[in-house]
Amino acid sequence: MINKELYRGLFEVIGYMLTSARGLIDEPQLYGPFRLIDGVSRLCTILEKEESGYGVFFTKLKAKIEKKKYTVMSDVDTFVGMMDELVIDFSHKMNAK
Amino acid sequence: MELKKALFERRSIRSFSEKPVEKELIKDILTAGIYAPTAGNIQPWAFIGISDPEIINKIRVISPGMLGHPKVLICVFSDQKKAYERAGKGGKTLALMDCAMATQNIMLRAFDLGLGTCVVRSFNQVAAHEILGTPDYLQPELFITIGYPAENPDPPSRNTGIIYWEEYGK
Repeated sequence: MINKELYRGLFEVIGYMLTSARGLIDEPQLYGPFRLIDGVSRLCTILEKEESGYGVFFTKLKAKIEKKKYTVMSDVDTFVGMMDELVIDFSHKMNAK
Repeated sequence: MELKKALFERRSIRSFSEKPVEKELIKDILTAGIYAPTAGNIQPWAFIGISDPEIINKIRVISPGMLGHPKVLICVFSDQKKAYERAGKGGKTLALMDCAMATQNIMLRAFDLGLGTCVVRSFNQVAAHEILGTPDYLQPELFITIGYPAENPDPPSRNTGIIYWEEYGK
């Protein structure tokens, strides 16, 4: 059975990605990484509810993003550090599977 | 509220409480908007207040810069037809400036009423037209997200070294 809520959520993320792609042509460079990271958070919000074995990981990933994503506007080093940390977390998870 | 307090303590709010925002407050806020300065009293603007959650969500999907879940949106449009008829080619720039000043009035009055706001320019104008059913001559310039604040952000740093006196560099 198709999970309508899941598909609706993904549909909306596609809208976010499409309009981000168009908008970023005329926007500050740092908006690019921000949109991608914010997109990851939005995907985690949708996917953390699914019974996939990744739920806890997605919830933790989202929490880390939400805690520091706005540092992009005030403290770029912290923002970059957060992204490095997220990549390490992701690599650990990938290796553990 | 003192004007100075509003000027220095207003922050961009991106996290809103679930408390609904009364329509009367939005009307009050919009009235503050139309009392902003406007070149030649052209008033080359229009405003749409949006409180329907379904429409807000549609706008959110096509607005990457819209963060959090506001209870109300205001869309600030420049009226390109009126701007051109009254001010020629220069009308476009003047209309943009007028819309920006109206937006600041709206955000200050909202703050005065205990509401949080954030101004959003990162949205797809073509999609916004489609969703709101507006005529081509109304150009959506900015969205203002509105709600009761669920955060109290620290003030961002400001560079005061760009203020000069009498001539540049002094």
